[in-house]
Parts: sequence; structure tokens; C-alpha cells
Amino acid sequence: VRNVHGFLSALSEFPERPAGIPGSELTGPWPVGQYAAALRERLRGFVRVQVFGEVFGFKAGRAKVWFELRDGSGALPCSMWRKEFDALGLGPLADGVQVVAAGGCDYYVGSRTASPSFSFVAAEVRIAGEGDLLAQLDRLRRTLHAEGLFEPQKRLPRPMLPRSIGVVCGEHGKARADVLAGLRRRRWRGRVIWAFAPVQDRHAAPAVTRALQDLAACAEVDVIVVARGGGSLADLFAFCDETLCRTVALLPVPVISSVGHHADRTLLDDVAAVACSTPTHAAEAAVPVDCAAARAALASATARLERQGRRAIVERARTLARLSRAPAAHVERHRVRLHQHLRELRASARRGVAEGDRATTARAIALTRKSRAAALTSARGALRARSDGAALERTATAALERRRRDLDRLSVALAAHDPQRTLERGYALVEDSAGEPITSAAAARESAALTVRMHDGRVGVRPDPPLT
Amino acid sequence: VAQADTLTYEAACERIEAIISRLDSGEAGLRETLELCQEGRRLVEFCAAELDAVGRGLEELRLDELVARLEARRASDTA
Repeated sequence: VRNVHGFLSALSEFPERPAGIPGSELTGPWPVGQYAAALRERLRGFVRVQVFGEVFGFKAGRAKVWFELRDGSGALPCSMWRKEFDALGLGPLADGVQVVAAGGCDYYVGSRTASPSFSFVAAEVRIAGEGDLLAQLDRLRRTLHAEGLFEPQKRLPRPMLPRSIGVVCGEHGKARADVLAGLRRRRWRGRVIWAFAPVQDRHAAPAVTRALQDLAACAEVDVIVVARGGGSLADLFAFCDETLCRTVALLPVPVISSVGHHADRTLLDDVAAVACSTPTHAAEAAVPVDCAAARAALASATARLERQGRRAIVERARTLARLSRAPAAHVERHRVRLHQHLRELRASARRGVAEGDRATTARAIALTRKSRAAALTSARGALRARSDGAALERTATAALERRRRDLDRLSVALAAHDPQRTLERGYALVEDSAGEPITSAAAARESAALTVRMHDGRVGVRPDPPLT
Repeated sequence: VAQADTLTYEAACERIEAIISRLDSGEAGLRETLELCQEGRRLVEFCAAELDAVGRGLEELRLDELVARLEARRASDTA
């Protein structure tokens, strides 16, 4: 009865109620807000229960917190008043945490400007232990990592310019178009080999594994992209399959995965050579270079090579030409210098001769002057010599006369003193046997023999014995 | 020929870079310069061929088509 009243009051707000669908047996049409309110009432009337599952996508708002509870077969959006949640002291819930939530269904009816939403409103939450699915996944991840299976793909060389790219994806999914868009962005127009496989559930794993093995077996496939749009982790479990991951790890061709998004990391992402967030990025990772840019770079490299090659030759040719011209230029330079020297020499010689002339003339004039002076001097000398000669002659004659007179006088004096002359006058000289004069009687007595020298000769005499 | 078999686009690009930087340094003699230019030209041709191979037009093939084509080729080879 209350609902009917509600509908009637709502009708008064919508005076222009549209006509219903002709032929439909259903009641209405009713205004949607009213119907939503009725739905909310019905949902609130559901029996209140406890549910359990793994927390996913926990978000905290000002008034409420939101999260999903998930398990292998389904999921439930949950909310809780922020005040009540904080009172539990659990802190933000990590993805995969298994919880038990107690509460009931509710429906936010929304409005003209707000979206409606359904949620299981939890009044209480209890942590129930590590999420089963994620715990399994984590164990497998640790095992594969410990076996070193994350490494081999990352060590494979990835070609910068693959000719053929293998792509594993759903035949009708969006991923296919995204991969092509990524390749177009790289302006790559090689060969794409599609290996379509179901990518939706756990049954997809064997098909994807087979597709990867087949692609890797083709020698011409340079790199493989596994692409899928995002989805819930349960949906992505196909890409956490142990056999698939072990196969990929040991493939000889690099595999680029893009099967989840940043919140859902699959095991395939771990073992692949590269993990990308979207199929477009995966395509770009498969062709790391922009082909048009590479072409431009190549053209520039060609130009530089040609330029360098040409320059190497032209510069050397110029150097050679310069060197070949050098000797001639050198000789020419010397010739010019020699001519210059020659001119200077001639000028200098002319100057020297003129100066010599002047000096010689001056010297001649001086000599003439000196010779005249000398002639004068010599004439005076002759004159003086002649007068000196006459004087000398006179003096000489006088001196000769005087010497002759002196000589006469001296010879007279000398003759007067000659002993011979004395002897001639009758005197005799007594000498001993040796001819020495004896001048005393005592000496005569002691001599045995004496000689008496007369003016005409000598007579020997013997002294008598002394008289008593 | 053996070199062409093992040469990759990235190795060729790297070598071209090295050659250009060596030429730019101006330290290479005439003979080396000419040899480097010749090698560079050969590598550029190789890279251009690689780029041409992925520039003619996108070819899309299903894996089963490719396998069928390869098997047909193998059959004709053995015949």
C-alpha cells in the first residue's frame, strides 16, 4: 500500500508520463527513480549473511571504503562506512587478502547527475588468511624464479627491425587492432603472422601454448607478441598456467607479453622477454625503431659518409697541389730576392765608386799641396847645405893647420926625451942579463953579469968584488 | 657472404655509427678513410634493404596459412 502511494505521488511529479510500449503486458512505464528506490528496498530486504573471498581494488574515500571480493567463480562489490572500517584497525587491505565480510545488499539509487551503484555493505570484516588463488600464484612464481626461468627470455637478442612478427591474440578482440595500431605508429609494414587462440579462461592456456610453439617453430618469425586486453585476475589466470610459462621461458624466440594491466601482473609477464601494459605498447616494443626515422637517419649517415669520403680525397688533392707548387714558388721567391740584392749591390757600388773618387781627388789635392811644400823645404835645405859646406871647409883647413903645428911641436918635445939621444951624448945604460935597467950600485954588485948599453951597441961587464 | 648471413640491422647501425665517428675524428688516413667509406656504403645498403623489407606494405597471414604455404614449398622441393 505504501509503495502504491509512492508511485502515485511520483506520477504527480511527471505530468507528461509517456505511453507504454504497445502490446506489452507489463505494467508501467514507471519513473526510473521510483523503480530504483523500490529495488533498493527489495535488496535491503535480502537476508543478511557472511561472505568470504579475496579482496581486490581496495579504495578509501572520505566517508566509505570500497573493494571487491573475488574467487574463482564470481565477485561482489563491497563497501563499508569509513568510520566502522577504521574502528577495526586493519589498515588498507592488500589485493588477494582473503576476508570474511558480514552485511547485506544495498543499492545507491543515484540521481540525474550521479551513477547508481550496487554494493554489499559490510558491517564487519575479518581477515581470513592469504588469498588462495594469489597464494598459489605466488608459490608458482617463486618456484619459476628459483629455477631461473625468468631469465632466458630476457637474455635473447631482440632484433631492432624484425621482418616477421608473430602475434597470439583473440581473433575478435580489441587487442588485434591495438597491435596493428602500434605497428602503424612505428611505420612498420612487414609481415604479421596471426595465431588466434581463445584468451578468456583457464582453457585458453593449452591453445596459447600450442600457438606459441608453432610460431616459434617458423624460422622466419623474429619476435612474438602475446596480446590481450585487461580483465579480472581470474580471467587472466590462463596466462599464469605453469606449462605455458615454462614453455615460453624456454622458447628460442623473444616473447613480448601484454596480457594484463599494471594491477594484474601475470606469470607470463614475469617469464617473457618484455612485459607491456597494452597491446599497442607491445607492438612498439617488438619494433623498437621508428622505421621512417631510421630511414631518415640512414639517409643522413649516407650523406655523411659520402661527404667524408669526398673531403678526404679533395683535401688531400689540395694539399698535394699546394706541395707541388711549393718548389716553383720557392725558386721564384729566391729569384726576386736575388734581383733585389743585385740592385742594391749596384747602387751600393755606384755610391762606393763616387765616394772613392771624391776621396782620391781630396787625397790628390792634399798630396799636391804636400809635394809643393816638400819642394820648398828641400830648396831651403840645399841652400843651407851649401852655406854649411863652405863653413865646414873653412873650419877643416884651419883645424888641419893647427894639428900640423901641434905635431911639429910634439915631435921636437919627444925627440928631446929619447934615451937614444941621451946615449949619443955619451951616457950609458946598465942592464941585467934580462935587459932590465939597473939603477943602483947595490943591484949592480949583486948581479953576476951586466950589460952596458951604448948608443952604438952593448958591452958585457963583470962587477968587481966590493972594495973594503 | 658469411658476414652478410650473420649481420643484423642493429649491428650494422652500430658499425655505421662507429665508422662515422671515426671519420669525423679526422684521424683516419686516406687508405683507412676510403676503406671505411666503402664498408659504410655496404652497411648502408644492407640497412636500406632491411628497411625496404619492412616498408613495402603490411602483409597479414594466419599461422595455418603460413604453415600450409611452408609445407607446400617443402613438398615441391622434395618433388
